[in-house]
Amino acid sequence: MNVIVVLAGILCLLMILIGGKQGLRSFLSLFLNFGVLFVTIFLMTNPKNSPIILTFIACTVISCISLFFINKTNSKTITAFISTMVTIVVLLLFITIVTKKSMIQGFGEESTEEISIFSLYIGVNFVQISASVIIMSTIGAIMDVAISIASSMHEIFHRNPLITRKDLFAAGLSIGRDILGTDTNTLFFAFFGGYLSLLIWFKDLSYSIGEIVNSKVFSAEMITIFCAGIGIALIIPIASSVNAYYLVRKREQTEHLSS
Amino acid sequence: MELTTLKIVPVQVTIQSTSLEVIHLQFLRNITYKQGIFYALLIACCLISIIFVHHNEQFYDRPIAEVIKATVSESEPLTDMYDNDDYLYTQHITAVLKNGQHKGQAIHLTNEYSASGAFDQEYHVGNEIFVGIDTHSMQSTLTGTILDLKRDQTIVIIAWIFIFALLIIGKRQGLFSIISLVVNALILSFALDLYVKHGSLNLLMISGVCVLLFTIISLLLISGMNTKTYAAIVSTLLGTMIALIISAAVMWLTGENGLRYEEMQFLTRPYRTVFMAGLFIGSLGAVMDVSITMASSIFALYEQDSTISLQALKASGHEIGKDIMGTITSILFFAYICGSIPMIILYLKNSSTLGLTLSLNLSLELARAFAGGIGVVLTIPISQYTAIFFINRKRVKE
Repeated sequence: MNVIVVLAGILCLLMILIGGKQGLRSFLSLFLNFGVLFVTIFLMTNPKNSPIILTFIACTVISCISLFFINKTNSKTITAFISTMVTIVVLLLFITIVTKKSMIQGFGEESTEEISIFSLYIGVNFVQISASVIIMSTIGAIMDVAISIASSMHEIFHRNPLITRKDLFAAGLSIGRDILGTDTNTLFFAFFGGYLSLLIWFKDLSYSIGEIVNSKVFSAEMITIFCAGIGIALIIPIASSVNAYYLVRKREQTEHLSS
Repeated sequence: MELTTLKIVPVQVTIQSTSLEVIHLQFLRNITYKQGIFYALLIACCLISIIFVHHNEQFYDRPIAEVIKATVSESEPLTDMYDNDDYLYTQHITAVLKNGQHKGQAIHLTNEYSASGAFDQEYHVGNEIFVGIDTHSMQSTLTGTILDLKRDQTIVIIAWIFIFALLIIGKRQGLFSIISLVVNALILSFALDLYVKHGSLNLLMISGVCVLLFTIISLLLISGMNTKTYAAIVSTLLGTMIALIISAAVMWLTGENGLRYEEMQFLTRPYRTVFMAGLFIGSLGAVMDVSITMASSIFALYEQDSTISLQALKASGHEIGKDIMGTITSILFFAYICGSIPMIILYLKNSSTLGLTLSLNLSLELARAFAGGIGVVLTIPISQYTAIFFINRKRVKE
C-alpha cells in the first residue's frame, strides 16, 4: 500500500466523520485545488505563457473553488472573493518587484549536485515562477482571513443593522487582528518544518551568518515568510473596507427603495 | 476579542491627540510618550540597519565589488537536447572592490547568463556582488569570477516592510506575532546547534522539546495567560502527538511504499528522522490555529452564558470546527506543495515522465500535507473535549 494513498484515505474518512457533507466537500476541494495547481504548472512549462498571468488565473480559480464550492455563493463569499482578488493583485505587483531585485529565482548553489544532470536552459522565466511560488504558497491563508472577516462582519451587521461604516470597518480590523497571529503562525511553522533539512545543512557545514543571509535558498525562504506575513496583514484592511462598503451600500439602497 | 479592542482604542485616541496637541489625562499622555518612543526607536533601528547593510562590506571575509559598468557583448540563441529554446548572454562587468586589500581598485568580470535564469542572473549597475579575485593575474587590472549577489540589502528592506505592515495593521497582535516568530526561530536555531554538536541526541526528541516550547510561547503570546490558553496548549500537544503517531504507524505498516526520499534536498543527516521532525514542526502551526480558535469560541460562549449546557457547547464547537478544517488544511496544502513548482518544471522540461516527476517531487510534500491535515481534523474533537473539561473544572470550583 502506498503511504500517500493511506494518509489521504485516513484524512478523507476523518473529514467525513467530523464534518459530514461539508467535510467531504472540503476534501474534494483539496483535490480540485491540486488539479488546478497541476494544470497551472503544466501550462507554465510553455515559455510563451507568462507565469504571472497564469498565477493570477490559477488564484482566481482556486478562490472560486474554496469560497463558492465549500461555502455556497452568497454575499459573504462574494465579498471575500473580491477582497482576496484585490489583495492578490497588490501582492503580485509587490512580489514581482521583490523577486526581480533579490534575484532569488531558480536554484541555489546548494542544489548544484541534484540539478547537474539537467539542462538548465529551458526557456521559461524563472524570476516570474519564483514570484508565483511565493504568492501561491500564501493564497490559502489569504482566503482564510478573507472569509473569516467577511462572515464575522456580516454577523455584526446582522446584529446591529444601524452601525456606521466607520464602526463596521473598525470591527473588521479588530477581527482581522485576532486571526493575524494564528494564521502567520500556521505559515511560519509550515515553512520552518519544510526547510528543517536546509537549516541542519547550514549548521552542519558551518556556514557563517553572512553566507546564510546572502545565499539564494535562505533568502528565498525568508522572503516567502515575509511576503506571507505582508499578505495576511494586507488582506485585513482590504477585506474590512470591501465588506463595510458593500454592507452599508446595500442598506442605503434598501432604504432608498423603501422611502 | 473584546479585550483587545478595548486596549487598542486608547492608542488610536492618543495618536490623534498628539497631532492636535490637546491636553489630556495623565495616563493618556504616558501612553503617547511610550508609543512615541517606541515608534521613534523603531524608525531609528530601521534607518540604521538599512544604512548598515549598505556599508557593511568590511565585515565580510569574502571580497565584495559594486558593479559600475555592465555591457552585454554577445547573445546567442541556444537549443538544448530536449528542444528547449533559450538565449545565452555574455556580460562584461567592471566593478569596484569595496573591501579587502584591493579596496577601491577596479575588477573586470565576465558573467554568462540565460534568459530563463534558473541558475544565473543578469547584473545591473549598482548591484553588489561577491567575487573571487584571480591571484595570478599579470595585468595591472584585476580579474576574477562572480560568486553570488549580496542579498542582505533587499532582505533587510523587505523585513522592515513586513515589520511595519504587521505593526501598523496588526498593532499589538502584529507585534506579538513578530516576537513569536523571532523567539521561535531562535529556539529552533539553538536546538539545531545542540543537535549538530552532540551527535548522541535524537532529532525527534529535540523537536519534541521544541514543539513543547513553541506551543507554549506562541499560544501565550496569541491569547495571554488564561484557562482558554491552557486548554489550547493541551489540545495542541495532544493533536500533534496523535497525528505524528498515526503518520509513523502508516509509514511503518506500508513499509514507506511510495515515499521517495531521493529528491529530498539539502541532506546531511539520516533522511527519515529529518522528514519526521519536519512533519512534526510543520503541522504544529495549523494544529495550534485550530486549538486556539476552538478554545476561544467555546470559552466565549461560556462567558456569555455561564449556565449553558455542555451539549450546546459541544454542538457549537462542532459547527465551528467543521467551518475551519477545510481552510486550514488548504493553507498547509498550498504552503507545502508550491515550493516544488520550480523543480517540477525543470523535470518536465527535461523530458521526464509525468509519473516520475510527480512521485519524486511531490510524494514527501503530499505526505506532509495529509499528515498535517489529519492533525488538524483530529484536533477538532480533542480541543472540543479539552475545552469542555476545563469549563467543567471551573464550574466545580465555583
